[in-house]
Amino acid sequence: MPVLEVPSRYRVPTRGQARVEVAGNTIRGCIVEMENRFPGFQELILDGRGNQRRFVRLFLNGEALERDALDSAIEQGDTVTIMASAAGG
Amino acid sequence: MSGPVLNKLIRVDMSTETARVEEFPEAWRLLGGRALSARILLEECDAQCDPLEAENIFVLAPGLLAGSSAPTSGRLSVGGKSPLTGGIKEANVGGEAGQDLMKLGYRVVIVTGKPSDPERRYGLDISADSVSLVPADEHKGKWNYPLIEALTQVYSKKASFISIGPAGEMQLAGASVACSDHSQNRHPARHAGRGGLGAVMGSKGLKYVAIEPGSAASRKPADKQFFQLSKKYTREFVAGPGQEPFPKWGTSVICEEANSIYTFPYKNRVEGRSPDVETLDGMRIVESFETRGGGMHNCLTGCIVKCSNIVHDANGEYKTSGLEFETLTMLGSNCAIANWEDVADLDRLCDDIGLDTIETGAAVAVYMDAGGMEFGDAEGTKQLLREIAEGTEIGRAIGNGAAAVGRAKQHHRVPTVKGQAIPAWDPRPLKAAGVTYCTSAMGADHTAGLIVDPGQAPEEFAQASQESQILNAAVDASGFCQFLMPNIEEIGEFYSSFLGEEVTREAIADMGWQCMEDEWEFNRRAGFGPEDDKMAPCMAEDAIGGETLFVWDVPDEIVAAAYERFEPRDELFTARPS
Repeated sequence: MPVLEVPSRYRVPTRGQARVEVAGNTIRGCIVEMENRFPGFQELILDGRGNQRRFVRLFLNGEALERDALDSAIEQGDTVTIMASAAGG
Repeated sequence: MSGPVLNKLIRVDMSTETARVEEFPEAWRLLGGRALSARILLEECDAQCDPLEAENIFVLAPGLLAGSSAPTSGRLSVGGKSPLTGGIKEANVGGEAGQDLMKLGYRVVIVTGKPSDPERRYGLDISADSVSLVPADEHKGKWNYPLIEALTQVYSKKASFISIGPAGEMQLAGASVACSDHSQNRHPARHAGRGGLGAVMGSKGLKYVAIEPGSAASRKPADKQFFQLSKKYTREFVAGPGQEPFPKWGTSVICEEANSIYTFPYKNRVEGRSPDVETLDGMRIVESFETRGGGMHNCLTGCIVKCSNIVHDANGEYKTSGLEFETLTMLGSNCAIANWEDVADLDRLCDDIGLDTIETGAAVAVYMDAGGMEFGDAEGTKQLLREIAEGTEIGRAIGNGAAAVGRAKQHHRVPTVKGQAIPAWDPRPLKAAGVTYCTSAMGADHTAGLIVDPGQAPEEFAQASQESQILNAAVDASGFCQFLMPNIEEIGEFYSSFLGEEVTREAIADMGWQCMEDEWEFNRRAGFGPEDDKMAPCMAEDAIGGETLFVWDVPDEIVAAAYERFEPRDELFTARPS
């Protein structure tokens, strides 16, 4: 199954789990499955219209994904990483 | 009445101790912030001048939308020839000064000359009715916090301040320019940090600028639809992005993610991950709010992002504000200082003395790496920072930045580009960001164009860097904060409505590009060439990473390609700052 890497501040719904194996053929599918298992997770990643939130970035096997790639196919063993956009500081 | 039509500028000549108000030139009408600063420096400053002599120009330029009702749009560009790099520099800062200057109709403050007596100190008083230099010798040597505390006793409750600490007065190349927060007792916690512009202000004998906004109202747009546009943008942001963990808790909470992609440098960047990420992560700061107080706030009026933290000590007393990811990394992880509370102390010291936390952290790490001090020595580092204010030999070296420490200690590992320390975001996994560090006229500066994409293909580096640089130049010219994450299309909408004329997205992108061209031309005149676009050798020598090793291996021709403008593609106009 694909693995979802969850940074610390998104881990309240996952009850602290940092890496979660999750069934899904697309990133959106994985997020929906995460919501089924960990209610409250989806709204951290997607807005009410199902779009990727502005400050959320997603990586697939270390490569940044375009914001319209939520429905792209992913494979068994892929790693999806969630990260915030934050340029400055 | 102030608005888009009535515009003024302030010229200050420190050689004659005079200040006067002039009409703002029509030719600069569409320029603000960084773009305006670059144009003024190109047109009026001898690029070959000594940065600390009379010929250099010190610029304070609010973004074009500052003082208006556009959300989070009041940022200020501080400009000049950098004593750190020898090239052009703009450092962008929050706080209230940019808002107040523009509400009064002052589009820019241009400071030239140098006092005949270097021991004298001056303040610059700015109000709706007058602009004048005042004696400020009594504030000589003051640290920023006591300085602002003293000034708030003299000026009105509405006044905002721009100031330097002892590092600026000593003209150290790592000196920052402080701006007072709009709340929180107007603490001098917002800093135009990079490039040593505090030293330029210090060389002019200018200890502070005090801006009295009086009853000045927000700048009026030409088109009343501007108010609707601002409300709509604010409403959508607050309901959506504003609810996300970032920016809700600020940049400090990104430590763990940065660590995961090997851009949380450790021990002068010999490693990309820190074993201390848990104790440095800003989530510990967030947790401290419950027991100690503090919290999140906006550093300037009208900001809807509110990503600035207020950090209290164990007794519940204010310690510092704006403790950011870059500071936790460069003064924490990069020096192997493991505890965020020690970094908070160091942040407060830097703000008080008037130092860039990125440059200072890099300088301390080079010093440690060269054997001057043990890695992880938090108390020793605090003492080292105090020595900067005391002007000891090693203190001055640290205050002059990483390259100066490298020279003093004859150390080989000095992570800089164009003499400026590489920020936390590491160019080995983030190679397109490295292209920005090499090609930006300002040296290694992540705010010039950061691309967080470790998996990017080499053929994408140059265009990704260029597009990010154009976007960030446009944002820094507008007065918007990069954390609002406006795209070029949205900036064009705000400009059009505010000015009452169509400003297309293409025009905004062209303005960003022109800003970069002005900066590059200044540097060419200053003597910069392709040989100055080299990444620090240690980035090519020291690999970091795990199964995949990251090293700087980007060919020169890919770096150079960022100078040739790519055909604009749709992503340029819709992408948001990283």
